[in-house]
Amino acid sequence: MEAKQYIGEGWKHAILIVGAIVVLLPFYMMVSMSLKSQQEIQSISGGLIGAQETQTFPVCVKTGYSEEECTMKPYKYNYWFAFEKAPIPRYLMNGVIVTLSIFIIQVLVALPCAYALAKLRFYGREFVFSMVLFCLLIPVHGIALPLYVMLAQAGLVDTYSALILPWTISVFGIFLMRQFFMTVPDELIDAARMDGMGEYAIVWKVMLPTAIPALLAFAIFSVVAHWNDYFWPRMVITGNRDLFTPPLGIREFRGGIDSDEFGPMMASIVTVTVPLIVAFIIAQKRFIEGITLTGMK
Amino acid sequence: MHNSKAHLWFIAPAIILMIIILIFPLFLAGGISFTDYNLGNKTFEWIGLENYDKMFNRKTYVKMIWATATYVIVVVPISVILGLCAAMLLNSLRFGADIYKTIFFLPVMATLLAMAIAWEFTLHPTLGIVNNFLANGCGGAREFIFGFHWLPWVDSEQSWYAVACANNMDFPYWLKQKNTAIWTVCFIGIWQAFGFNMVLYLAGLTGIPRELYQAAEMDGAKSTWEQFKLVTWPMLGPTTLFVVTITTIRTFQVFDTIEILTKGGPSKTTYVMMYAIFEKAIQQNLTSIGAAITVVFIGFILILTFFQRYIIEKRVHY
Repeated sequence: MEAKQYIGEGWKHAILIVGAIVVLLPFYMMVSMSLKSQQEIQSISGGLIGAQETQTFPVCVKTGYSEEECTMKPYKYNYWFAFEKAPIPRYLMNGVIVTLSIFIIQVLVALPCAYALAKLRFYGREFVFSMVLFCLLIPVHGIALPLYVMLAQAGLVDTYSALILPWTISVFGIFLMRQFFMTVPDELIDAARMDGMGEYAIVWKVMLPTAIPALLAFAIFSVVAHWNDYFWPRMVITGNRDLFTPPLGIREFRGGIDSDEFGPMMASIVTVTVPLIVAFIIAQKRFIEGITLTGMK
Repeated sequence: MHNSKAHLWFIAPAIILMIIILIFPLFLAGGISFTDYNLGNKTFEWIGLENYDKMFNRKTYVKMIWATATYVIVVVPISVILGLCAAMLLNSLRFGADIYKTIFFLPVMATLLAMAIAWEFTLHPTLGIVNNFLANGCGGAREFIFGFHWLPWVDSEQSWYAVACANNMDFPYWLKQKNTAIWTVCFIGIWQAFGFNMVLYLAGLTGIPRELYQAAEMDGAKSTWEQFKLVTWPMLGPTTLFVVTITTIRTFQVFDTIEILTKGGPSKTTYVMMYAIFEKAIQQNLTSIGAAITVVFIGFILILTFFQRYIIEKRVHY
């Protein structure tokens, strides 16, 4: 029995390891290419990190740098040249600005509304709630075209507003927070009212602190979705490099298989992708919780 | 309770934004789809159903529906089943489950666009490790396995692998060939989605009480398969319904991989709806036809979700 169980366990690991290899394949390719020299990439040699021989890089010399500046190890060159070629910090900063603005506005709009729906009695509450439930069905990407037409008419294409505005309302956030507030005991709110707190103070000083765990999960959900979103920025940002979010930056780096050098290109892609992956690996449990939040619908 | 008008201030911003950002665009798309309006035009005319007529009769749009349907029909079941299998395997492991979970979830987290480019290189005929791996395996065990020579009806001289080996390592250019592009894109879709489903199933599995398995065993369901049929699968009903719906909605919206890898080609075999909306309305400025596609797209999604809610109310009660 014992031995049989071990064999079973062994088989399971064998299957899972094959799966893991397939899953990790593109990650391996990405990291490996960002470290190796062009010759090694083209001849598919050098394993993961390549030989790392110090050499002079012709593309760099052609771009106008001195030969001395262009002589270094491949991994260093790839990352250095990636930052020389494109304003990567700017793209990352845009990503931070956009995702944070979206999240903050979403909370400012959703939290009071969720509180009103959960804890205040007023005429039309059921109607507002069914409106929220209906809006949950509408995928924002699906209505991107009419939104684009509206933004174009307002002259907002190619602005930060275009990147942020359509996402300011998160019906999912309202729904989630409302469900959460339903579980908060009424006594807590009554006590706050007895202390002479107004409704505004109750939302931000009593309800907000109780909602921190749910908010954190929602934050991860929202930030990951918008950091990775490519479709919407691609629609509304047509050429202004200053407004590029990380995925638009990635698209720019790519330049196609026929571009002259793959190393720096992959280095830029790795740089843009890594922050989120590192954050995920550090706070895995929270991330999985946050991203599968939709599972609570 | 309270007599302030605070609730008005609390709900007003949300209501206004819902109307402007979510509800009005539905009507706007519907309206534009009956006109010949293009962005930038001063005037437009009502042309009735002409845009829809084009959509269901012109070759391009018929191909669009086909490509979208193929993608959804392939990616949804496979990524759901893979997610379930992975979850059950991990659930039965004695050690190491967490590592696999992290690895399988990575694609869900990582920027899809970046990963699409990474796949493009991985599958590239001359630079990629996949074709290199295949080419190095000619005449060996790899050819036997991936050429399906182990299937009784496959002739080992005529399998796709053997033919490619014989023709100077002519392995497919996965993303650029008419007969492989859509399947390759589907594969990337599955690769990206199954980890998400796995996590939802893992959560579903922890909700099944252990006693049910003991009871099933007493009733004579001894084998793993019987227990799965009797306990696991029915208990996972609500999870499955949810996983299928959310995966379908996400799959319908595929865009990133198509835009960066195939641009809808070759010969429109990967021309999915979201990409069609983008190409027609934004790149070619044919706003009205884009609006018609939008309406059909939203229609699909709404039908799907209503269907899901209907089943939830009818059937999935345990």
